[in-house]
Formats: sequence, structure tokens, C-alpha cells
Amino acid sequence: MDFALLSRVRHFPVRHHSPRTTAVLLKWLERVKPQVVLVEGPCDATALVDVLCDAQTRPPVAILGYRTDGTPSSSLWPFAAYSPEYQALKWARANGARAEFIDIPVGVSLAVDRQAPGLGLEAEATEGDAPEAPGMAPAALEEEPVVPVTEAFARSHGYRSFEEFWEASFEAPDWSPEQFQPLLIAWAEVLNAGPRLAYHGQRDAFMARKVLEVVAGGVAPEKVAVVAGAAHIAAFLAKSVDPAEEAKLPQAGPCAVTVIPYSFPRLSEQLGYGAGNRAPHFYQKAHEANCDFRRATLEVLLDFAAHLRMRGFSASLSDVLEAYRLAVTLSDLREKSAPGLDELREATVATLCRGDATHVDGFLWKSVIGHEVGQVASRIGQNSLQAEFWREVGERRLPRTDSPETFTLRLNNPVEVGSSVFLHRLRVAGIPYATLSGTGSSRKQGGEAEAGGYAALTRVREAWQAQWTPSTDVALVEKIVLGDSLEAVTTRVLQERLTQAKTTAQAADVLLESVITGCSQTVAQALRVCDAHAATDADLPSLASAARALSGLMAYGTSRAHSDVGDEAVAALGEKTFGRALLRVRDASACAPEAVLPVLDALRTLHEVALSQPRADKEGWFVEARGLMASHAVHPATSGLATGLLYLARELPEADVALEVGRRLSAAVEPADAAAYLEGFLQVNALVLVKSRDVVKALDDFLVSVEPERFRQTLPVLRRALGALGATERRYLMENVMGVRQLKDKGRAVKAVLEEKDKATLKDLSADLGKALDDLDDLL
Amino acid sequence: MSDRVDSVQLMPDIRLPAEAKYKNELDALAAHDDKPRPPGWALSPRAVETYILGSPKPVGGVAITPKYVGDKGLIQVCIATLASDRALMLVGEPGTAKSWLSEHLSAAISGTSALVVQGTAGTSEDHIKYSWNYALLLAQGPTPEALVPSPILRAMRTGKFARFEEVTRTSPEIQDSLISILSEKQVSVPELGEITSAQRGFNLIATANTRDRGVNEMSAALKRRFNFVTVPVVEDLEQEIQIVTKREAELRTDYQVGVPPPEELSRVLLTLFHELRKGVTKDGKTKVRTPGAVLSTAEAISVLFNSSILAQQFGSGTVTSQELAASLVGAVVKEQEDDVKALREYMETVAKSRTGPWKELYTASKKLLRG
Repeated sequence: MDFALLSRVRHFPVRHHSPRTTAVLLKWLERVKPQVVLVEGPCDATALVDVLCDAQTRPPVAILGYRTDGTPSSSLWPFAAYSPEYQALKWARANGARAEFIDIPVGVSLAVDRQAPGLGLEAEATEGDAPEAPGMAPAALEEEPVVPVTEAFARSHGYRSFEEFWEASFEAPDWSPEQFQPLLIAWAEVLNAGPRLAYHGQRDAFMARKVLEVVAGGVAPEKVAVVAGAAHIAAFLAKSVDPAEEAKLPQAGPCAVTVIPYSFPRLSEQLGYGAGNRAPHFYQKAHEANCDFRRATLEVLLDFAAHLRMRGFSASLSDVLEAYRLAVTLSDLREKSAPGLDELREATVATLCRGDATHVDGFLWKSVIGHEVGQVASRIGQNSLQAEFWREVGERRLPRTDSPETFTLRLNNPVEVGSSVFLHRLRVAGIPYATLSGTGSSRKQGGEAEAGGYAALTRVREAWQAQWTPSTDVALVEKIVLGDSLEAVTTRVLQERLTQAKTTAQAADVLLESVITGCSQTVAQALRVCDAHAATDADLPSLASAARALSGLMAYGTSRAHSDVGDEAVAALGEKTFGRALLRVRDASACAPEAVLPVLDALRTLHEVALSQPRADKEGWFVEARGLMASHAVHPATSGLATGLLYLARELPEADVALEVGRRLSAAVEPADAAAYLEGFLQVNALVLVKSRDVVKALDDFLVSVEPERFRQTLPVLRRALGALGATERRYLMENVMGVRQLKDKGRAVKAVLEEKDKATLKDLSADLGKALDDLDDLL
Repeated sequence: MSDRVDSVQLMPDIRLPAEAKYKNELDALAAHDDKPRPPGWALSPRAVETYILGSPKPVGGVAITPKYVGDKGLIQVCIATLASDRALMLVGEPGTAKSWLSEHLSAAISGTSALVVQGTAGTSEDHIKYSWNYALLLAQGPTPEALVPSPILRAMRTGKFARFEEVTRTSPEIQDSLISILSEKQVSVPELGEITSAQRGFNLIATANTRDRGVNEMSAALKRRFNFVTVPVVEDLEQEIQIVTKREAELRTDYQVGVPPPEELSRVLLTLFHELRKGVTKDGKTKVRTPGAVLSTAEAISVLFNSSILAQQFGSGTVTSQELAASLVGAVVKEQEDDVKALREYMETVAKSRTGPWKELYTASKKLLRG
């Protein structure tokens, strides 16, 4: 490698996202007037320089590199307006110079990330390098417990944090290029003195080769400006670049690059030396004020005061002046050239907040981070999904900032139904933007699990919480492989789920989602798949749940779907599914004890559908239920449930119920079976059941007749059955038991005796035993 | 050194003010202070900071001891405020060294910490502005000789710092008489037809308590005249042990009484304070009831000092758990009966299961807490 030539090239070391570096860099570029500006950044993104420099593009934006083979893997290279790399590109564009990126291609760095996830981040923290921190993995950041070299260095120099050290030493003083460059190089040497990852050496080699290629292309080395991380430049100048290292870089995977909007909150989330900074809004202000940090401090203090006043606290102009003066005095005392964030914070607490830091932590500090979202020139860089997303968000007046906002949709007009369809499509397509937070009126429903499906059909209001984050755009870019419109993407996702659907219930779920997301194509397909599954599906719970879904569709209509199949097809299928479910009731009910729970649920669902849906075969259901009630071949719990349901539907007179229960609980029946029967029976609406004296009598007789040995065996099942009763039900039960036995007065006496006994025994017993006794007491 | 011996023989003041006690440190700092001093200041801000926080290297051959152990930034905010035209308000829980800090700041900056008004419910405007020597007033009528200036007025005349302790104990109307002093920096004496304007170097350090009941909230107008600095409760156990040990030793020297308590016992005491304050043990496993009494650093110092006197006068000559328990019960259980329970609970659930001095403390306290 021709180091002599390399050192003749003009180098400018930078720290990413540093306003002072940017200011000094621009002065330097004016003086050097290079013909080619080479910037650290993925070299296959050079084509995007036009987009980045477009007048319509407003930072923060980020270069997004992502894999196109379906492997979820992506990486972001964010730029703020005050990032030196960004301004270097802008300068080149404005001054007719060529601008190129020279770092390893996206595919390679994604491959590196895959080899050693989190490696990029570690490098940020300890080494200070390119911003290739995968912005999508903040979790990995928190797992890094090491105290970085940079932190240790700052603390040993009397600063409380590295950021404070950096601000005081690098940002605040008004450096000239001659002073600043050696300073940064010296700093980089401090960094490079520590262990350096091999990966960075490999990138050094790659970049050095790229630089030399440009020179070989016929540009005078003095007219080539290299703008790259200080650690890389230091390596170039120290001639510690080994060309052989480059071969060790992994093979690039298939990938693509684009530019997406980025936001200040995300920028501040990136930690470590190279990745981000802690208060983008503050630095933006400083950048706009030509790195006059005093002015930035004053502007932010004015913002703070306005914010406090808006929230009803007093914050006068004189408070702001005083805070500003305090910040400046503090920075003088600390021998800094201008106040930084630490002084800003301390001054705000002491003056504007009267010594109480809660407001600062609570809401003020968020505004030094800012919530600005960047904008990418519309002519390029946006794919059709992004375009659709932004158009819809604009037209529907949905939130477009990087802070959570809540709003409610009333689903009684086509506009808001349209918004709901849009948001549901995003949800189904897996694009992070909005989450359903409830129905707006009642807090009962809600939770993401219920966002779609049957619950969504019945809603008239939907409360959403939406927040744009860069990951929204990342997802929009990545999903383009599935389709070029949101509807197409959603349709594809649903189709995939449909092909994976193994049961009628799963197919019916897809059907519901198709309706909610207005994907008419999948509605028809899902109907067919439902039909096909229903014919062969032997699983009662699945059929019942499908029947419920279809019944819901019949009741609420498929209006959202604009489906060409029409409601009639749904109704026909619904009837058919219900009928098929009924055919399987008997077989399914003859199941093993451990499988009975889903069957019970299914029976209840069927009962619900039968009663609520006029087109369902109600009579057929009652016939089946009676069959279950009478049968001794099925699981006794299903018989019990059927009895309860029939009684509740007024299909069975009270006397018959008592008779039936009496029969089922008679001494001839195995106590375990009787108990299971009881469990099913009480599952329905226990209050109605225990209110009936005849029923309670049958129950009581049964309990009394059980032999002690048997009683012990059936106790667990009995406890489970009776455990379902609430306090009110228990009271009714007790009253009826007393009534049946004419125990009213005797009962009290018995209770008193028991209590006395209890007291004596309880003394030495542990709490657990006491509880068991209480339970027994309840039973008696 | 001979100074010291003489003063002992002459029965000195119980407690010397900061400017007298640390005279040699202040003199050394002034002599080696090459930084610009704000008008009326005895030291530059940087030297004041060194005086308060101490210096690892001796200045002019004199070791500068730390007066306050804690956040450097907090002290810098105090000093920066005092250099501006705003007054400084130190707020915090009782016993967090607010008054201590105010005394040392005044001593370092103005050379005196004596111009102090103690706020009470009985503080009147006379205490803040001026009153009269009534004999002279009757004899001569209103003359400058008959005027009795308040500490604040004296501070204004001489360009020194005044201190106002416990502002919020004073009634709001009286508090508000500070407003004109702080904004116009002058006091008018209509009886004499004159106005006293503050000399350069005048400022005010006030302290206020955030924990006490029955305090008077300050008016918004008065609040605007102050920069507020919250003096935090010491969170770090090691740091608090360091503070308490040091201050207790100073007290013993000042009062010429007591024997040094073993380090082990200071640790036990402060661990107990920390755990009772937080309501949970160090390992975070056991919850303990928090007593209502204030368990401040100052209280810990007093408990430790008290036990060292007990040990010397009535005990074996060395501080044991016995003395510690006796002083502790007196300190924790002041107002409410419930606090006895809280302490007993702590002893039963936490101290009992620990080893060494904890065990002895448990045994010793068991007798005292029976009731």
C-alpha cells in the first residue's frame, strides 16, 4: 500500500454527529477546495447522495441497508443536519465536487453483524467508529456492562461523564481547523491505544484502497478530501493499515439500500462514542447558531420556560435570564468555554424548577432530545408502500411524530372506517405504527391479543395509540417484497396464514382478519378454505369457534370488505359449519377427562351461536343437548353442562332439572362421575342454579349420601366444581341448604360449636391448615 | 499548636465559627488564590470550591479538609448563584448539612458566618430589617445611634453574606419583607429619612426544610428571588460512614469528651439508618417499617457522639453495643410510640439474624425496647 500517496491525500478526522466538527470541517473545505470528497459510509449508497442532498430532504434521515433474501436483517446509518459527513456531502454538491462513500458495502456489514451480533455496538462504545449500530437492537445496548475507555478517560480528568468531557473539550471552544485536526487525531490515538477490533482494521484497509483508487483515477491527491471517523484517519496517518486484512471481510449477502426518515428520539437512543448523541435538539440549535453554545443554551431555556408556563407553572423571563446567567457562571467556574448540557440542566433545576428535578426529568428534558422526524425527498428513496403510508397518514390526519399519541375512531362513517382498515392492515402486515388500546369507551376490552378477530367486528369505537418511529419506515421498506400496496402486502400475509391454517378455526380467523382489513381477495379464499376444512375437520372446538366467527360475520356483515362474494356466501357457510359442528357434538363429548375443557368451551360457544344467530339450527342444537343430557356414554361434565344450558334457555322445566340432577347424583352413580357432572352443571350460570331449591336439594342429598371413603376421593373434583361459585352464589347455596334441612337455628349452633373447636385447634396450626378448615366449613 | 493548648486552658467557646476554626485553611487559600475574585469576595469561586470540597494536595503547606462530602456540581451551583444577584436557597430534609454548608460558604466568601437570622414563628420584621434602642430613642429621638440594625442590615452595610435559617418557619408576611431587600438591595429607614443600600459582596443564603410539618410555604414572589439547591440525603453508605466518623471525631475534640467508637459500630449504626430510611434491607430481601422520626446524617452523628460519651463516663471506657443501643433508642423514638414498634420489629427481623456486633446490639436493645 502506498502510504506516501495516502498521506498526501487531505484527511479530516470527525466524530459523528458533532456540530463543532461540522463547523470546523466546513471552514476547512472552503480552504482546501477538494475536487473529490470521500465520506465514511457504505460505498454502495453513493447513488443515494443525490437524495441526501436534495433540497426537499430534511435531516434527520438515515441510510437503510437491508437484506433482500427474506432474512430479517438491516442496518441504519443516521445523519443529522449537524453530522459532518452530511455537511461534507452537501458542500460537495454545492461546490461541484464529486462526493462518494468509501466504507464497506451494506451487504458486507450486514454479514459482519450476522457473524457477531452486537459487534458494531461494542465497537461504538469502546472504539469510536462508524454509526453502523443496528438501530433496531437497542436491547443489545443495555446488555453492555463495560465501562468504556472513553468514560474512564473522562472521569480521570475530573468530568462526570464522557459526554461532558467531550462538550467541554471539543464542542464548546471555537477551534480553527489547524488546532482541531491534531486534537482529534490525538484523541483517536487515545482510543486506538486500547484493543481494537479486527473488523475496524479490515475496514481501514478497505477504505484506504478506495481512496487510493480515486487517486489512481487521475485526481491529484491534494484535491481529494477524506472525511472519516478519527480512529480511521489516525490509522491511515500512522500507516497502521494492513491491505491483507481486507480479504478477511465476509462475503456480502443480497441487499439493497435506501434513505428513510429518521428521528431525534432514535438518535438519542444510540449510545456510545460513535453512535449518537444525548440531546439532538440542543445540538441542532447549536448547529443553527454556528456552534454558539451560549445561544443554544438560551434558546433551550426559553423553550423550557414556555413549556413550564404551558403546564401552568410560573416561569418568567427573569427566571430565564437568571438561569442563563447561572449556566454561564457555572461554565466559567468549570473553566469551560460555553455552557453544555450539564450546566443547562443544573441551571434549570436551580432557577426555573426551584430546586426540584422532577419536572426536568418528567417532561422538560424530552425537549432537548426533540421529537423531530426527518423528511426524504419525494422524487426518490420512497417506495410505493412508504408513499402510500405517508399519503394515508397525511390525508387521514394520523400522528406523524415520534412521540406516542392517542386518538379514537368512531366507526359510523366511511372515513373513519377507512382509517380503521388502514391501521388494521398495518397491524396484520406487521408494520409497527399503531396499537389498539381499547374501544375508547370501556376499558374492559383491549390488549393487543384482541386487536383483531371477533372482537374487532363488534366494535363501534376504536381507541388507538400511534407513534411513528424509524422502524415503521424500515418495515415499510422491507415489506415491499410482499407487495407494492398495503392491501397487497396484507393479502399476502393473510394468504400465507391461510395456507398454514390447519383447522377450520384458523381459517375462520383469517377470514375475520380479511374482513377487518378489507382484503376482499382473501375473504373469498378464506371462505373456500373454511368450507374445505369444515368438511373434514373433526375437531369440535375448532368448528365451534369457526361457527362463532361466521355467525359474527352474518350479524355484523362484511361491509368493510366490499367483498364480491356477498353476505349470502358467508351465511350459507355459517349454517353449514354449524350443522357440521352439531354432527360432531356427540363424538367429541365422549372424550377423556383431560380433553374435556375445550369441549365444554365449544359447547358453550355453540349454545351462544344457536341462541343469537337466527339462521343457526337452534332446534338441532337442543336435540343434541338433550342427547348429551341423557347419554351416559359421554363425559359427565358435558351432560352437566348440557343440562345447565337447556335449563337456562328455558327448554327444561325446573322440576325436570331437579329430577335430572337427582338422577345423575344418585347413589348408584360413581361419585367421581357425579362430581364431574356437577362441575359441568355449575359452569353455566351458577347463580340461577343454586337459587333453585329443588336443584340444591338434589345436590345436598347427593353429598350426604356419599360414603366417607368415596367422599375423600371425590373431594378434589367437588372442590373444583364448587370453587367456581362466588360469594353471592355461596350465600344463596347456604340459604337454600338451610331451607332444605330446616337448619336455620341449628345451623347457628353448629357453627358456634365449630368455631370454638376451630379456635382450639387453630392455635398451633399453620395458616395453610386453617385455610383448609375454612374450606371444609364452607362445604358444610 | 500552642494556640490550641492555650485556648483549652482558657476554657474556649464551645463551638468556634467556621471562619475561626478553619482560619489557617482560609488564610492559606487566600494567599495562594490567583484567580479573579468577584467584588466583595474574600476568595475566588474556585478557591471557595476547594475550601468546601477539600483538596488532595495541601495549599501553601496547609491541608484543606473536605467540609462537605458529596456532589461537586451542587457546590458549584451554590457558588455560581452567590456570585450572581440571586440569593441562594438550600432546601432538603433535616440533617442534610444545609446550615453547615451555609455557614462554610459565608465564612469562605465573606469571612464571617455570624450574620445570621434564625427563622421561628416569632420572627418579626424587626429581626429582618432593624429595631430601636428604646432608651436612646426616647432620649434623643430617632438617630443613627439609636438604630439597632438586624444581621441582614449589617451584612448589607458591610458587603457581607447574611444567613437566614429555616425561612419557612417564619410567617409568610414576614418572609415577604425579604423581597424588597433581595430585589432592590436596599432598606429604607423612614424615621431617619435615609436609605441603606447594600455594598458589593452582599448576598443571602437561606435554608428551608422539606420534611417538617407546619411550615409556611413561601410566596411565588419570594421564590423568584432565590435559586434553589436541593441538598440530598446521602445515599452512599461508605460516604455517610466517612462523614459521620469525621464529624463525630471533630465533636469529640471540640467538647473534649468521649472516646473514639470502633469503626465496626459506626458501620452497624449507619447500615441500620440506611435500612430504616429506605424501608428495605441492604440485600433488598427484607422489608422493614420506616419510623416517623427523621433519620438524618446529623442524627447519626449525634447518636455516635452520645454513645462515645456514655462509654467514657458510665461505661467500660470503650464504646460497645450497649451504649449504642441506649443512644439509638433515644434518637429514633422521639415523637411516636409507633417508632418503638418499628425499631423493635427491625431488631427482631433483621438484627437478630446477623452476626457479631449486630447480635450484641439486638441483645442490648431488647431490654430497652421492652414496653
